[in-house]
Order: sequence, then C-alpha cells, then structure tokens
Amino acid sequence: MPSGTRNGEIRIVDVTKRFGDLTAVRDLSLTIPDRSYCCLLGPSGCGKTTILRMIAGHETPTTGEIRIGGEAVVGLTPVQRGTAMMFQSYALFPHRSVLDNVAFSLKLRGASKAERHRQARELLAKVRMERFADRLPAQLSGGQQQRVALARALITNPRVLLLDEPLSALDEYLRLRMRGELRRVQKDLGITFIHVTHTQLEAIAVADLVVVMAQGRIEQAASAREIFTTPRSAYVARFMGGQNVLSGTVESVIDGHAIVADEHGASFSTVVDGPNPLKGSRLVGSIRRDRVSVSKAQGCATASGKVNALVGEVHAIEYQGSYVKVTIQRPTGEEFVANVIDDDFFRDPLDIGDSVLARWSARDVLILEGAPDAGAASMDEAGGMLV
Amino acid sequence: MKHATAGPRPWTFYVFASFFALFVLFLYGPMTVIYILSFQGPTGGLTFPMTGFSLRWFHALVTAERVGDIGGAFNRSIVLAVIVALLTVVLSVAAGLGFRRRFPGSGVVFYLAIASLIMPGLFVGLGIAVGFQLLGLDIDWYTSALGAQLTWTLPYGLLIMFAVLGRFNRAYEEAATDLGATSWQRLREVVLPILLPGIIGVALFGFTLSYDEFPRTVLTAGTRNTLPLEIWAMTTNVTSPALFAVGTVTTIVSFIAIGIALISIAVIQRRRTRGSGEPI
Repeated sequence: MPSGTRNGEIRIVDVTKRFGDLTAVRDLSLTIPDRSYCCLLGPSGCGKTTILRMIAGHETPTTGEIRIGGEAVVGLTPVQRGTAMMFQSYALFPHRSVLDNVAFSLKLRGASKAERHRQARELLAKVRMERFADRLPAQLSGGQQQRVALARALITNPRVLLLDEPLSALDEYLRLRMRGELRRVQKDLGITFIHVTHTQLEAIAVADLVVVMAQGRIEQAASAREIFTTPRSAYVARFMGGQNVLSGTVESVIDGHAIVADEHGASFSTVVDGPNPLKGSRLVGSIRRDRVSVSKAQGCATASGKVNALVGEVHAIEYQGSYVKVTIQRPTGEEFVANVIDDDFFRDPLDIGDSVLARWSARDVLILEGAPDAGAASMDEAGGMLV
Repeated sequence: MKHATAGPRPWTFYVFASFFALFVLFLYGPMTVIYILSFQGPTGGLTFPMTGFSLRWFHALVTAERVGDIGGAFNRSIVLAVIVALLTVVLSVAAGLGFRRRFPGSGVVFYLAIASLIMPGLFVGLGIAVGFQLLGLDIDWYTSALGAQLTWTLPYGLLIMFAVLGRFNRAYEEAATDLGATSWQRLREVVLPILLPGIIGVALFGFTLSYDEFPRTVLTAGTRNTLPLEIWAMTTNVTSPALFAVGTVTTIVSFIAIGIALISIAVIQRRRTRGSGEPI
C-alpha cells in the first residue's frame, strides 16, 4: 500500500549511478516540489531515464539518497514508495484484457473480482476507454494503449507518476493531444508527474519545472519560460534553440556596457551587472532569435565598427506560419538564425544567397556561464531543436 | 513486398527446385511405402506387391505375437518422453531466465551445457552406463536413460529459451513489480503466461527428441527397451509387415504430439490478437 503521507515532493541528494565503468548520473541533486509537473529533458544518454528509474525503484543509486515526501526510499519497493511508472513501450500485458490489465494491481492485493473490475472500469472511464474494456492490448491503437497504461498506473493511487518518454511512440497529432491530456490529468489528480523526454517543445509545453540535463549532470532546472528566455549556459541556449550563441573577448567597458568582439568582425554589447569583466577576458552571450532584425546589406557593407550586428549570406528560409526562420551563414561558416515576424518579412522578402545585415539591441543580449562550446558536441545527437 | 516483375527464372531456381524435389522424394517416398505396406494383406511380405488390404499387422502389435514387447516399449517411451519434456521445460526455462543476468562464469557454464550437443551420443551413453556400473547403480530406462536423454534435450531447450527470451521485453516484469507483484507473482502472472507459446515449443522438442532418441539410450536403457530400441531389435528378427505397422503407429503419435503443440500455440496467439477478453 502507498505510504501514509500523500506528499509527492521528491528530493534527490548527491546521487551518483554507475553501470560498470559508465557513470550515468554524476553527483546530482534536485528537488521536485509536491504536485508539480516536472520534465527531465536532454539528449539520449544524458541520464534522464536513469534518474526516473531510480525514483521508481527499478535502479538503485550507487551513492546518494532519494526522498519522497521526506522519507528515504532507496531499498523500498515501488508500491512502498507510492510511485507508479508508465513505460515507454507501455508494457501492457498481452495476455490480459484491458480491464484485467488495469485491475492487475488490485488482483495482486487480493481484491475480489467484482471489486477490482468496478474500480478498473471507473478508471477506464476517466481515460475514456471503458468501451474497450474487453479488448486485448494488441487490438488497440498506440494512443489507446497509452490511455490504458495511464489507467493501470493510476489505479495504484500513486503520489508520484513517472512517465518514460510517454509520447514518443505516437504520431504528431496524438502527441500534441496527449500532452495536453497528461497535463490535465496531473492537475485533476494533484499528484507529482515526472516526465522524461528529449523533445524541447514537449517539455516547455507541459512542465512547471524543466530540468535540462547533459552527461549525467543538470545544466539548468527552472520554469519553462526561464529556461527558454534566460538559459544559463551555452549548452542550454543551444539545446533549447531559440537563441544564437556568440562569444568573444571584452574590448572595453564603458558606462556599465561591455563591448565584446569575436574574431570575425562581429561584436556585441551587453549591460554589465555586477563587477566589471576584465578587458581581454572571454565572454559568451546569447541573443534571442526573435529579437534579431535582418535587412539587405547595401553594397559591400560590413559590420565592422557596428556593435550588435553581423553580416552574412541567407542560407535557408523556412516559413513557419506566424514567423519566418531565416538562417544566415556568416563568412566563417557559423550559422546565425533570425525569426522574423511574417508581416515584416514579406514587406521586403529575402532570397537565399542575399547578403544581409543582422542587428539586435544590447538589452536582448544575455551573458552565459561557461565555455562557448560546452555541449556543442552533443548537439548532433540531440536532433530536432526548437525552431 | 512486391515481387519482381515477371521474367525468365534464373537457372539457380531450377537447381534448387530439383534439389527440393529430391529432398521430398527421399524423405517422404520411403515413408509412404512403409505406411502403405503396413496395410499388407495377411499373406503378404515385406515388399510389394500388396496381396490385399488388412489391419492384420497392427493387430499383431497389440497381441505381441512374435514381435516382442512392442506395447510395453511404446508405453515406456511415451512416459519417458513426457518426463523428459517436463524436466526440460522446468530446467531450461529456469536456466534461460537465470542466464539473462550475466553472472561471473556464465559464459563457461553456457558452453559446458551446449558442448553436449557436439559430443558423440553413443559415447555419452556408454560413459553414463559405465559410470552407473562403477557406482553400483542399476541402469534402467527411467534412471540412466532419462539422464542420458536430458544431456541431449536440455541444451536444445536452453537454446530455444534464449531465442524466446530474446524477444521478451523486460518492461513487462518491471511493470509487474511496479504494480506490486512479488517475484513469484511476477513469474506466475506475467512472465510464464507471456512466454507460454515458447515454453510449449520447448516441451514439444523435449518430447520428440526423447521419443526417437537412439544413440544415448541404447546403452543406458537396461533390459527394458524404449520404442526405438525395440524397433531396432525388430529389424533384425521380425520379418513381417508388423515392422511397418510400428512405423505407421509411431509416426501418427509424433504427428499428434506436434499437432497438439501447434494447435495450443495457435489458440494462445489467437486469443492475444482477436481474443475473447478472458484471461488465459
């Protein structure tokens, strides 16, 4: 039976998990508030599923502690923890009907057939699957199987629901619908949801708390808006997309503004807050893609001498409905992206190959922590970044 | 899959088709002759022509006239095959599940188990027989022959279980644990039912391998023969079509065993895809 307290706060304290020589999770600490919707986000192999499985009790931390609602849970069974897990493959038992799948945990606890079927039907009604009670899992579509898996996990009355890539097996349309539905269920039940995903849009769409992970560590844990608008590191900025990352050395600090120039003639300025950076030190900054304006370069314009501007050639133009994604290739080969509002774009449309000048304002520049190329290597496998 | 557009068949087609025709002829031709001759008329002999059609030679089997203890051998073989099938299922399912965890020395243990597939069966049987004698134990079909046959069926059972478990998603077990199952409940309610078609396959293999096992059994069965040994003895001293009648009966038994296994697997698969909704 789930433990007495219904508090679904999760505290992960200095947890390390090693599989042989491989360290999947490194000295990680994280607090997930009770009744929140938390997304663990990162490329494959970043340790997010390992964390989920350690919270669920399907893996044991090598060192460190996990507390749920204040209780240390390492060594307890999932039922004692009051957690339930929804598996990526759903893991519906193929030899049992939908009804018996949902009623399974009640059967294990010795509930009478009538009682467990009554409760199972109730939950199936909640996920609108009561009509399919007598079907077998193989006779259901992916979306229907997922609803059944959700009902089966919820019948244990957990205080924490753990979802391992719950939407990855669905097509785009269902994915969007189901993620809204998951969020609604979480609000209705008032329990903690922890959702593992590698899709940025999915995470920021549903989560109260987004935890961006890389190589077994947390890069940033914050609200979706904070992660998106004020990434802490170049890794997060790149991984979440939506930002351009520039780096350079500090040339001067005047009136609380630092001017930073990169090696290729572009420079940006930023409002310095705190101690002045040393001249010559390296700084990394990010600029939101939707705060960049693009205009055709006149003649052989260069950006030299202009702060918060760079030149390049239009490399790709992708129409996105409400905006147009313009990818600019700098002479160095680096890419710089501007998301231009559709009205602005079509007033004076650009073509691939046009020379352009991209500009932004100092207040949209955000100084990031750490090395400029941090996490760049894992970008490739991260795949579909935000546009 | 779409077939390639029609065109002349390559010469390899004719080579393989001819080979297959030969294969079918070799396998089923002599067998068919035996089945036909087992219905030989009462005055007929071991070869064509048929002098009539009768069940005379099948009758001879049950009455044990001149043909030795064929009924007893048949019973022993069936009982032995059932015991072997059961032990093979229990041990190879357990071993298969155990081998999923890579324990220290699991590679060595695996190769030790599999090695008996390549050892000459006669010598395995001889060794067991000699070993029993050294230990002062009586050799008999349900002791030494049972052990000898298991050295043959267990590696097969283990290999089949590897194939079966290779397609088994461990998330089923974790889901069961997550829902509160003890390890015993997990095995009984989830793992075994899901693996059931594969387990029936293991049982079928155990049964048929035992039912016509010869080299390992011949020196370990003692004084009371199993069916293949009895048939072997008959070929040297029985000169009537009763010999063929034995062939027909044993073939029918084999087909019944295979039929039962295939039908039960089909029923299980069907319940899982178009099922009635009743738990199995």
